[in-house]
Amino acid sequence: MIAGWENLSPGERQDVFLTKWASGEGIEFAGEDAKASYQYRAGLIADAIKLKKTPDRVPIVPLAIFAPVMLYGYSGKQAMYDPHILGKVCLDYTRDYDVDATVIAPMVMHGPPLEVLSYQLYRWPGHGVKEELSYQFVEKDYMKAEDYDHFIADPTDYWFRVWLPRTHGSLEALAQLPPLYGTMELPMAGPWMCSLGAPPIQEAYKALLEAGKLSFEWIQALIPYMGQIVSSGYPIYAGSATKAPFDVLGDSFRGTIELMMDLYRRPEKVLEAVNRLVPLMVNMGVGGAIANNNPLVFIPLHKGADGFMSNEQFEKFYWPTLKEVILGLARNGCVPCCFVEGSYNHRLEYLAEVPEGQCVFIFDRTDMVRAREVLGGKSCIGGGFPISLIITGTVQQVEDETKKLLDVAAGDGGYILSIGCAMDEAKEHTLKAFIETGKTYGRY
Amino acid sequence: MGMLNELSEAVVEMQEQVAMEKTRQLLEQGADPQDVLEAFRKALEEVGNRYEKQTYFIPELILSGRMMSSALEMLKPHLRDESVQSGTKLGKILIATVAGDIHDIGKNMVTMLMDIHGFEVRDLGVDVSSEKIISEAKEFGADVIGLSGLLTLAFDPMKEVVVGLTAAGLKDKVKVIIGGGQMDEQIRSYVGADAFVTDAVAGINICKTWVS
Repeated sequence: MIAGWENLSPGERQDVFLTKWASGEGIEFAGEDAKASYQYRAGLIADAIKLKKTPDRVPIVPLAIFAPVMLYGYSGKQAMYDPHILGKVCLDYTRDYDVDATVIAPMVMHGPPLEVLSYQLYRWPGHGVKEELSYQFVEKDYMKAEDYDHFIADPTDYWFRVWLPRTHGSLEALAQLPPLYGTMELPMAGPWMCSLGAPPIQEAYKALLEAGKLSFEWIQALIPYMGQIVSSGYPIYAGSATKAPFDVLGDSFRGTIELMMDLYRRPEKVLEAVNRLVPLMVNMGVGGAIANNNPLVFIPLHKGADGFMSNEQFEKFYWPTLKEVILGLARNGCVPCCFVEGSYNHRLEYLAEVPEGQCVFIFDRTDMVRAREVLGGKSCIGGGFPISLIITGTVQQVEDETKKLLDVAAGDGGYILSIGCAMDEAKEHTLKAFIETGKTYGRY
Repeated sequence: MGMLNELSEAVVEMQEQVAMEKTRQLLEQGADPQDVLEAFRKALEEVGNRYEKQTYFIPELILSGRMMSSALEMLKPHLRDESVQSGTKLGKILIATVAGDIHDIGKNMVTMLMDIHGFEVRDLGVDVSSEKIISEAKEFGADVIGLSGLLTLAFDPMKEVVVGLTAAGLKDKVKVIIGGGQMDEQIRSYVGADAFVTDAVAGINICKTWVS
C-alpha cells in the first residue's frame, strides 16, 4: 500500500500507478536494452495519457485480437486449440511489427474448456464458425424481462444461478441450487450443502472443474510467451478490461432488441440495473489491473454509438453509468482506455466531461478533426484509421492517409496512433507501412 | 377513419399499449384488416422519416417494428394476403449475411423495413455461401442483392458474390448493396458493389431509386 494514497487525487493516483508500470518495476528484462526500450515505449503511452506537450513521438498501438494469428498463416482454430501457436504468433508479431504496446494474447481464449462448458454466448472456429475465422458473438435475450428484479437485487446470485445456466449448457443444473445465504448458520446450511450433492449439480461442478483444469494448463503454457514479450521490452495494452453497464445489459443479458424496447417498456428497471452494475464493473477493472501491475483498463463501447440512440437517451441511460465507471477506475489509480466503436460525432461533448488527463478514447469511425477539437487538451485520443485501407489498400494509400490522420489528430500531444477496430486480420505490407509512417512522421 | 389515424399516431409516438388496444378495438368493430395494416405501414414510414431526420433512432425502429409484427399476429386470421403491402411490389430484394459471418441484427431490421416499404424480400439468413446467394438471386429474379457483414472477414465473400454475378452474366441485371459497421467507399470499390450503407434506412432509399 502506497503511503499517503488516501490523500492523493485520482489524477495523482493514476500518476503513481502509471509511473510504476512505465518503469518496468518487477519485470526481469532480457537485458539493459530491453529495459530501456520498455521504458521508452511505456513512457510514450504514459506521456500521451497525461497529455504531455510535444513528447518524442506518437505511441503506436494497433488494437488486435486474431490479427497476429492470421498474419502468420495460422487459422483461428489452431490459435484457440494450441497455446504454443498462440503464444508464438503474439511474440513474433510484437517483435516483427515493433509496436509500442502489444496484444493481450489470452483474449483469443481456449476452445477445449468452452466445449466442456457447452458455451453458448459465442461460436468459435471449429465450433459453429469456419476454422480459419475468428470467434463471433451470439446475441440473445438470455435475461428475460421478468428477471430484472432479481438482477437488481442480487446481481451475482442472478449471474450464477440463472444467467450461467442459460449461457453454458453444462451448467444448466446450477439453476436448481438455492442461494448461498443459508451458509451463515449451521442449522440453515442444509439446503445448500445437500443440493451440492444432487447428481445433476455434481455433474455441473465436474464440468467447471474440468474447464478450470484445461484453462489453468493453457495459461501456464501461454505465460512464458507473454513473459518473453514483456521482458524483451514491450508493454501490453492493457492490464484488464471492463464494460459500460448499458453494454453489459445490451450485449450479454437483454440483447440489443429487447433492451432498446425496454427503454420504452420499463425505463426505470433499466436505470436501476445499470446503476447496480457500476461498482461491479469498477471492481472488475481495478482487480485485473492490480493483479497484472498494469493500470490500463480496456473498455469497448458498443450500444451508445451515433444512431443507436438519441442524445437524450444517451444522457439518461448510457452515459451516466459509463462516466461513473470511468471516474471509479481513476479514483483507484487506473486509466480507463475506452475503445469507442462506431461513431461518436454526436457524443463528443459528453466525453469532454471527464476530468483532464484521466482517460483514453480510441475511436473507430468518429471524425478525428472534431475529436481533436472537442477533446484535445482534455483526454488522450487515438485511432480513426480505417481498417479497410489496411486490408484492401496500397502501401502508398496507407502512408498518405496515416500522415493526413496525424496532421489532424496528433495535435501537440495526447494522441495514440491506432486502427479504428480491434483487428481480426491484417496485411503485412500495409500494417508495417502504417507503423513505420507513425514512427517517422509522428514525431513532434 | 379517426381511430385508424389515432392508431398510426400511437405507433409513431411509441405508445405500444395504446396502439395494441386500438388494434384490438378496430378488429372487434369489424374494420378491414388491410386498413389496419395500412395504418401501421404509414406509421412505420413516418418512423423511418424521423430516423432519417435523426430524431428517431434504433430503439424507435425496433419498437415500431415489434408493434407491427404483434399486430400482424392479431390480423393474420383475418388477412387474405399476409404481406404488409398488398398489390404491386416495388421490386425484389434478396438479403443475406455473407459466408463466415453469423451476425444478423442489422440485416433483420433491413428485411423488416424493406417489406414495410413495399419490396418483396427473400432473406437467406446468415453464413450464406456466394454460390447460394447467386443461385437464389437467379431463381427469385432479384432486382437488388443486399449483403450484410460485420466482420472484416466478410469483405472477400462479398467480393466473391460480385465476381460470381459477373461470371454468370448477371451483374448488369442486378444491383448489389453492402451493409455493415465497417463498410466504406474503399470496401465498396474493392467488392465491386453499387453502393454501401452503414444504416438500414439509407439502404431503403437507395434501393427505391434503383427500382423506380
